[in-house]
Amino acid sequence: MNPAEFTGDDNYFEDFVPGAVIRHARGKTVGEIDNVLITNLVLNTAQQHFNQQLMEQTRFGERITFGGVTLSLIIGLASEDTSENALAELGVDKIRFRTPVHHGDTLYAFTEVLGVKDAERPDAGEVHFRHWGVNQKDELVFEGERRVLVKRRPRAGK
Amino acid sequence: MDADFRARAVLKPKGLLYEDFVPGRHFKHHWGRTLNEGDNSLFSTLTLHYNPLYFNLEYAKAHGHKQVVVNPYLVFTTVFGLTVEDFSEAGGAFLGLEELTFERPVYAGDTLRAESEVVSRRESEKNPGQGIVTWSTQGFNQRDERVIAFKRTNLVNRRSAAR
Repeated sequence: MNPAEFTGDDNYFEDFVPGAVIRHARGKTVGEIDNVLITNLVLNTAQQHFNQQLMEQTRFGERITFGGVTLSLIIGLASEDTSENALAELGVDKIRFRTPVHHGDTLYAFTEVLGVKDAERPDAGEVHFRHWGVNQKDELVFEGERRVLVKRRPRAGK
Repeated sequence: MDADFRARAVLKPKGLLYEDFVPGRHFKHHWGRTLNEGDNSLFSTLTLHYNPLYFNLEYAKAHGHKQVVVNPYLVFTTVFGLTVEDFSEAGGAFLGLEELTFERPVYAGDTLRAESEVVSRRESEKNPGQGIVTWSTQGFNQRDERVIAFKRTNLVNRRSAAR
């Protein structure tokens, strides 16, 4: 089995140029299967995410998607283009949730390459990204930075 | 017969309030959670996270892992989830996250637990019934190795405004 055959060839460390901005191709409409399932799966007990009747009595009028789900979906939407060839996620920082996400909202992701640098291991480098998430009304719902350890392009025949 | 159960019932409220978050206060959060392969596959596929390390065993082995790697964002949401009853169940928006670091891989079968400390708090000018609290949270595996650390900031209801 050649691991390189499972992943794309346009997203190795060498392919990330600082300043490049990517509009990721797919969107995802957030539903109960995302918000309620993941919120419950990870023992997040805040019922603002899963009690519709409670939320109808608030100014929100409906359940709010857990920010951890929004973050995971935006990074997921960006993942094939930014970390399909990653060896590890290193961290995230400066995360802000700008607009509540409700069931039925559709999320899209954008990414800017902020910087690249060598890593301790010679076969990979660190890429620093900024991500944005927007909804179907083009409102900013999420922004933040992320660092990923990405493989360098394997040499031919390896 | 049971007709008066509602009248006799006393609400058992959940969650803490702004006044409870004295800077420096330490929390050992409840429950812990063993993450299994199903959790990981479900989470990684639902969130469209397309790195085969998280769902292709042979690919993970070719990269030096004995098992598929648990998606780091599942590690994050799980450790976060363990803190919610203490920190944010009583209401208040999740505002932001700082300085999150993934410190070592997590594998199916690992059990995570969470501890936190109150970093700071201040009153909210925009929301007089609420304050803004920042906590520092760490997640550990069953060998007490730290797997994740982050700071999170929330709006938190004040006692005067609660319920």
